[in-house]
This record gives sequence, C-alpha cells and structure tokens, in this order.
Amino acid sequence: MLYSDKLDSNRHNSNRHYTQKLSCLLLLIVALSLILLLAGSGLDVDYIIPKRFARLTAIIIGSLCVALSSIIFQTLVNNRILTPAIMGYEAVYLMWQALLLLTLGTHGLAMLGTGGNFFISLALMLVYSWLLQRWLLGQARPDLYRLLLIGLVLTMVISTFTQFVQLRIDPGEFAVLQGLSYASFTRANTDTLLYSIIAVTLVCVIGYKYWPELDALTLGQAQATSLGVNTTQLMRLYLALIAILVSVSTSLIGPTAFLGIFVANITYALSASRKHRLTLPMGCAIAMTLFLVAQLLVEHVFNYRTTVTILINLVCGAYFLMLIVRTRGTL
Amino acid sequence: MISVRNLSKYYGARQVLSATSHDFPPGQITSVIGPNGAGKSTLLMLMARLLEPSQGQVLLGQDDATLMPINQYAQNVATLRQSPGLNMRLTVAELVAFGRFPYSRGSLTQDDHRMIDEALNFLSLAPLRHAYLDEISGGQRQLAFLAMTIAQQTSVLLLDEPLNNLDMKHAVHIMQSLRRLCDEQGRTVILVIHDVNFAANYSDHILALKAGEVQFSGSTHDTIDESLLRDLYELDFEIMNNKRGCVCDYFTPRLGASQ
Repeated sequence: MLYSDKLDSNRHNSNRHYTQKLSCLLLLIVALSLILLLAGSGLDVDYIIPKRFARLTAIIIGSLCVALSSIIFQTLVNNRILTPAIMGYEAVYLMWQALLLLTLGTHGLAMLGTGGNFFISLALMLVYSWLLQRWLLGQARPDLYRLLLIGLVLTMVISTFTQFVQLRIDPGEFAVLQGLSYASFTRANTDTLLYSIIAVTLVCVIGYKYWPELDALTLGQAQATSLGVNTTQLMRLYLALIAILVSVSTSLIGPTAFLGIFVANITYALSASRKHRLTLPMGCAIAMTLFLVAQLLVEHVFNYRTTVTILINLVCGAYFLMLIVRTRGTL
Repeated sequence: MISVRNLSKYYGARQVLSATSHDFPPGQITSVIGPNGAGKSTLLMLMARLLEPSQGQVLLGQDDATLMPINQYAQNVATLRQSPGLNMRLTVAELVAFGRFPYSRGSLTQDDHRMIDEALNFLSLAPLRHAYLDEISGGQRQLAFLAMTIAQQTSVLLLDEPLNNLDMKHAVHIMQSLRRLCDEQGRTVILVIHDVNFAANYSDHILALKAGEVQFSGSTHDTIDESLLRDLYELDFEIMNNKRGCVCDYFTPRLGASQ
C-alpha cells in the first residue's frame, strides 16, 4: 500500500510539473515576443512594429505547424525519428519552386501570385502525402529502417533533381530559389500569413476531434484496431492534415529539416507522457521558444551574419546524432 | 457466438488458411493448437479483423463481422496479440484504461474507473497499478495487457500465444484467470497455444490445425488422444492421466516411432 501511495504522489507531482513547465515556457514566449517586437524599435507604430508583428506571427504559425506535424507524424508511423521533413515533404516543395522558376521565370512566379503559388503547393503536398500513405498503408507493419531509408533516398533524389534544375536557370532566378531554401521569418507577406492562419485554424479544428484516437494509435496500429479505431481512415485524415501543415510552414518560413525531431523528442522528455492532449501544446510551446531564441540571436547577437537555419540545424543536428547513438536499438 | 465459415487467406499463391469452418462454443475456452505454420495465428487475426480474409466470413451471432463498424466490433471482441511492443512509457493503470477506449474514447467515466479497478483486481495487479510497464517483469507486463483486454468487457476474447516467454508461475496464473473468466463471467475465450499440456488441462474445446486446414476438433476429452496428437505434431505421444489432470509426454520420443 505504501509503495502505491508513493507512486500515486509521484504521478501527482508529474502532472504538476507538466503545468509548471508549460507555464514557464509560456511566460518565456511572452517575454521573448515582447523583446522581438519592441527592442530598439523606438516605439515606431507606423512601420517597424507592424513589420515585426508580421514576423512574430510567422514564427508562431510556423512553430505550430512544425510541432503539430512532427508529433502527429511520429504517432502515425510509431517511432521517434521520422518527421515529415525526413520523409521528403520539404524537398518536394523546393523541387516544385525550382520547376516553377524554370518554366515560368520570376515574372511567371509573380503572375501566379502568392495565393496561386500557396494553393498549388498545398495541392502538390496533398498528392505526395496520398502517395506516401498508399505505400504506408499497403504495408502490414511498416518497418522503421525501411521507412527511414525510403525517406532519405526520396529526399536525396528529389533534392538532386532540384539541383539539376538549378543549373538550368539564370543567376537572378537562382538567387530567388536560394532564398527559398533557407528558413527565414522575414519573407512572409500579409497574404501568405492570412492564408496560413486560415489553413492552420482549419487543421486544428478538424484534427482536435480525433486526439483520443491518436492516443490509442500510440499502442500500435493493430492494438488500436482491436480497440475499435478505424486506423486506415485515421491515417488518411491525419496525413492529409500534415501535408497542409508542412506546405504552410515551408511556404511561410522555408525548410526546417531537423527541427521537427528535436521539438518532438524534447516534448516527450518534458511532458513525460505520450498523451496528445499534453504533448501537442507542449510541442508548440517548445517550437515557439526555439524559433524566438534563434531569431533574436540572429538579429541582435549575430547581426544577420548567420541564419536561423544554420543556428537551428547546428543545435538540432547535434541532438539528432546524440539521439541515434544513445538510443541505439531501442527506437 | 463467434464462428467462421469457409474462411481462407492467401498471400499471393501461397495459401495459409483454406476454407476453414468452425463454431466456437460460447462461454468456453477453446484452444487452437497445431505445429508452426499451421495457420493458427492467421485464423485468430482474421477473427480479430486485423487481416482481411481472401474468402469466407467471420460471424458474430448471425452478423457478418466485416460489415460491423470497427468500434462496435471492439465492444464484442477483444484481442491480445503476441508480445505486443510498446515504445512509450505508460503505467499499468494507464494501459488498462485503454481497454475502455471503445466505450469512452479516452475520457473515463465513473463506470470505466470501476471496470479498470475490477480488471486490475481480477489479475491481482492492483499493487502495481502505478508502476511503469518498462519497469516490471515480462510476466507482469503480459498480465497488464491481459487486464486491458478484460477491461474491454467483451463477450469474446482472442489471445495469440498468451503464455509466450512466461515462467511457469505466470503461465499458470494466466490460464487460471482465463478459466475464471469463463466460469465466473461466462466469457468466450479463444487462444492459440503451443503448450499442449496447458491446452489439455485448462480448455473445454480443442481446434487442431495443420497446413491451413482443420485436422480435428471437439471436446478436450475426445481430442487429447495419443494417435490424434501423433498425427498432428508427427511426434510420439504418451498421455498419462492422474488425479490432478493429464500429462502429454512427448519429450523423449521412442526411436523410429515418430516416422
């Protein structure tokens, strides 16, 4: 009885710890946001602050996309290494932009407009996601190492193809493409932001309904089926939602590479649970903090001599390596 | 009552189960026995709707199981697979709570909590309820998974080799619990089992498969028979009855007898 009492209080503590951690992160996010908005702005509400506010919105929407898509994707494929970025989603986006530049040129891209490009990219992501899902669902039991291999090979093939296209376009267009292949919070314009907010809100409203089913899915596809979850439908729905999230985040802030793995695994560690009602909010908070810190460092410490991508990939890449080495065989 | 009609499963040209029909007696333990590759697990997975049949039907009462919504099916049939893996940290109670998923989708009611407690007490797991699954023994983990299936409160339980990798004490504990589930709660238990001695001593009914076909079936009393088992396993059996049950001795086949 004593033993179970002790465990009971541990459990209670871990719940309280979760709330504490999340509130700390939220406070930190508010503080960092204020710094980002106000530091050295001279309180110029006509130009500087609205500009920075757009940047802040991009950071918030982008981190929501990265956190939600990575954590949900990891639940769907039931492991802690694969993220949409590793499965080639972002590579497909970049290839599409390269092809657009090759066939239409920068003028064509301007003619297509932000909205046109946004929605075509979204459709393309959905198609890629559908192909991936057909393949994932075709397998009785998706094998982690094969998925990882397929993801890496797909990313490599698609990126090489993109490079091949890059060699065919002129230097001006190349500069545009180069700009697209790094994460940045400054590129988003108001139109893209607006579409992104609408898309992410929709995804959250639809996705929220099936959070409990996602929890059951963490037991594995077969066990979830035995518990009455229609796993095929659930996978289809969430892979589509993930495609939307990834296309929003790539068109808003660019490729995020390792960031998803980093966010997801820190989330599991901090929330000490795989319940999505706990992990998803925590994941969003962690991603926001990370992006805000990176952006502030770039702006105020490095004076734009480095990029957010470089900072994040440096930290996250090292963490990813550590994760593979430390959890060898147990993933 | 759960039954199968003309059930077949092919993988390409390879036939794993061919036109199997069987009525599983309600409120009893049925052991599915047979050598490796006989199609036992396939049969169970088809009944659990974890595999699609190539032909034939699974019937729950009079209804075709595949036409039933999966959520409703989960309120009638619970499945425990072979050594289910888990890649997250869960406590025993959290795992058992998943058994209530078909009813409450994760937001537990007072009733659900009662069922969870009942299932934990039924298997004497209550002291471990807050222990993490990766910190308890394999036997205790298997009991925890069984508790989840029990908490699902279904009339039918399908278990795929529930005694795999367990020591004798845990194996006996599990078989006794299954016996009580039938006798006290009238549930139908169907399990795939390799240990023919456990099958002989605890089940009411035997279904023997070989090479994807039914070799024989019937009450345990009629089917635990030296010549039937010899043909099934191609091993020399000697069955000894004593006051505590029976022992099927196949450990040291006489030379030449197995040919």
